[in-house]
Amino acid sequence: MEAVNIQFAPATGTDQEWNEAYARLADYFRSYRLHNRIRRTQLVLESLRRASDAHMKDPSRKPVALAIDEARKMMHDWLGTVYHDMHLTEPQIEAGGRLGFYISDGPDRWPLHFMDRNFVPPEMSGAMREAVRTSGPSLQVSKMTPRDMDLGFTHVAEGTFEGFARQPWMRYTVLAVFVTFVFFYVYRLLQ
Amino acid sequence: MSEPSVKTPPAGIIPRTLARARRVTFLTLVCLGTLLGTWLMIRFLQVSEGYRNAKIGLLICFVPLFYQLNSGFWTALIGVWLQNRPKDDPTDLWETIEDDGGPIDASTAIIIPVYNEDVSRVWEGLRVTFESLQKTGHLKNFDFFVLSDSDQTNKWIEEQTAWLELSRQLGAFGKIFYRHRRKPINRKSGNVSDFCRRWGKRYRYMIVFDADSLMSGALMVAMTRIMERNPGIGILQTFPKQVASETLIGRLMQFAQSLYGPAFMAGLNYWQNGEANFWGHNAIIRLDPFIQHCALPPLPKTVPFGGHILSHDFVEAALMRKAGYSVRLLNTIRGSYEEGPPTLIDTLKRDRRWCQGNMQHFWLLFARGWHFMSRVNFAHGVLSYVSSPLWFLLLVFTTWLAATPGDVIRDGPAERAGHLLLGLTATLIFMPKFVILLDEMVSGRVFKPLKLRMLALLSSMLDTVIFTLMSPVMMWFHTTFVFKIITGQGVKWVAQKRKLDGVDWREVILTFGGVTLLGIAWGIVAWMISWSFFLWLSPIFVSLTLAIPLAIWLSSGKSGQRFGLFLSPEETEPPAVLRELETNLAEVKGRLQLPPEIERNYGLMQVCLDPYVNGLHISLLRRRKNTQDSSEYLDEIADKLIQQGPQALTSREVNALINDTETVTDLHYRLWSATEHDLAPFWSLAIKQYNLAATHPFTHLLARKNPPLAPVST
Repeated sequence: MEAVNIQFAPATGTDQEWNEAYARLADYFRSYRLHNRIRRTQLVLESLRRASDAHMKDPSRKPVALAIDEARKMMHDWLGTVYHDMHLTEPQIEAGGRLGFYISDGPDRWPLHFMDRNFVPPEMSGAMREAVRTSGPSLQVSKMTPRDMDLGFTHVAEGTFEGFARQPWMRYTVLAVFVTFVFFYVYRLLQ
Repeated sequence: MSEPSVKTPPAGIIPRTLARARRVTFLTLVCLGTLLGTWLMIRFLQVSEGYRNAKIGLLICFVPLFYQLNSGFWTALIGVWLQNRPKDDPTDLWETIEDDGGPIDASTAIIIPVYNEDVSRVWEGLRVTFESLQKTGHLKNFDFFVLSDSDQTNKWIEEQTAWLELSRQLGAFGKIFYRHRRKPINRKSGNVSDFCRRWGKRYRYMIVFDADSLMSGALMVAMTRIMERNPGIGILQTFPKQVASETLIGRLMQFAQSLYGPAFMAGLNYWQNGEANFWGHNAIIRLDPFIQHCALPPLPKTVPFGGHILSHDFVEAALMRKAGYSVRLLNTIRGSYEEGPPTLIDTLKRDRRWCQGNMQHFWLLFARGWHFMSRVNFAHGVLSYVSSPLWFLLLVFTTWLAATPGDVIRDGPAERAGHLLLGLTATLIFMPKFVILLDEMVSGRVFKPLKLRMLALLSSMLDTVIFTLMSPVMMWFHTTFVFKIITGQGVKWVAQKRKLDGVDWREVILTFGGVTLLGIAWGIVAWMISWSFFLWLSPIFVSLTLAIPLAIWLSSGKSGQRFGLFLSPEETEPPAVLRELETNLAEVKGRLQLPPEIERNYGLMQVCLDPYVNGLHISLLRRRKNTQDSSEYLDEIADKLIQQGPQALTSREVNALINDTETVTDLHYRLWSATEHDLAPFWSLAIKQYNLAATHPFTHLLARKNPPLAPVST
């Protein structure tokens, strides 16, 4: 990464917009659990510097969007360096790479080398590469096919129920007959 | 493995002569008791003239109910006898591994199927099980699989983060695996079958957990050894004890299970032999025959309560037996645990599910090829729910007969038959409890200190009163379940509630209001008939009338624990796994909570905002190619999510978003790139508060057992 220039004076955009971009970048890098504030500040300022350059070229975009864009690009370049020969797709590098940094305890062990394209300690890159290699057990596909079951007499009954299912009114008729029978029976009992 | 030969049964299959002798003894005792009761009932009813149909109806209901009473009575009594028999049981499986302390060759998968469960409970349970296995020195033989069918986005994301963090903390990548199914085909049994198809060949055994299961490493190692020594066993089921209840009903069940359970287990073991049941969890299964023979055939969709088999466990046990392997119960006092529903309403919801599952087994009763005992097991399952409408009808018939006495003349023998029947019924109901209590008082089998034994005596007397009050209410609900299921009103698959989060009075009143009215009406009818009938029927209608206060009381936290009532050994001497689980869950519960709106959508918020959770989710997602139309649709709902917040989206829309890798990647940057003006208040608040609350992205739901490693100098 280039030396950080503390002087930040964007030629375009309002102070309010750049303040919002700063706050958002601060929150964004905090979400990486970088507890090293110096490194976070370096990254925020570098992203802002790049964003201000981009804003000069395209003032129609908001500084906050450009700042996050630049942070994303920086991250992408850095992860590309770490995983350059692992034949990963772009989404794999982006998603799996971030995760690899976390799984290898990167935020706590190597905060100062986070997104540092110039120097990644071999131990760090080794741990990050190892982390993305981890995957589940390979499949050993087996067949688990239900065997036919002869339900005995219920096969005979099945035809009847099929008829019932096709004609819901029949179900209700049978139910009504049953209920009528019960009531009639109760009536008889009470006579 | 080749199937066991019939002529020379391999170890684990009980010799046919012994099994037959035991079954004949048991069924003879049960049938004799049923015959005696039936004869007394006939003798009692014969005297009066007229109303023959009502009497026949009453008798039809009476016989299966009396059979069921006898079955429970003899199971318990035989159990107590076995517990006190000085001679060792020749079928005791523990004896087969007495001298076995060497290494284990077999590989075992521990599978945990989950469906929208409490994520902290599931993963902390896995943690203590993992650590318990680690202490035995046999961890290398076991792998863990969490098999998720969760369809709530938040739960799904939380499960993923919990998997990653726990694997990281325990150094268990490659030991703990997580798999999520997008479509939960065939529910739990489909979930397990899917595991068997994908990874089943890699393992000789699988131990099935429920989401709330807990097992000690020592027991799991012992189970694996038993399976190794007894190749004739296909399924080995442990006795999971209910633990960690906080409400009265939960603690009552815990207490009853601790005190009476072992005797019933021993009795069941006596007559079920190698044809026991599988209860769906806390059991070890021999995978090869399970894959070959236990795939569930669907029932014809056209029959009532047909289609996919819900209570798969009984059927799998029967299929395993049909394939020539035995299904055995392992008499376990410690090491196998589960949790129960916290309230009466949750108990009923669970019962409704079980009821439909058991009713389905009716269609299997007459299928060809089952072992006789598998049919008995199916019949008992059906009877356990059908007994409620039978009891209800019995009471209705009794009321009719009492209301229309006609020319009933009670002579001496009939009166005596009536009294004898009453005495016999009371004996069948209360004698098992009395004998088990007496055994406990004398032997201290469950509780060693005398004080605890005395408290158990008092608790037992109280639980008799409470269960007597509960029974008619349960009877009514089970009756309605049976009728609803017969008339085609199926059940939905819902996540089971396992912890109390307050009593919902409205729900209680709505649920039990009708029962209360029924109780009052029945009481009035009984009073109009006669004073003596009113008194005779009072336990029924009083319980029904008091259903609302009873449900509230049973579901409350006032469970008598401070007075030493309804104690279980797991409360007085908690096992290590349970103690550690409770400590970890208390740590999780004590965490700083975000505003309720954010807590409700925590998983969704994390997957959108947190770079690591987002990366994890994308890594685990299957990549699909989107069409132009679907891309436009997804963009549209992503805009809605950013500008209006999660509450503006339906669960279907959220699911569509979260299942698409491009959209999830894009959402992460779009949210962070949006100005305050373009963000919904939910996201503004989440961006500000998330970093403050979540100092560690994956530990919101897990105890933070291992602090991150110390920074290395750079």
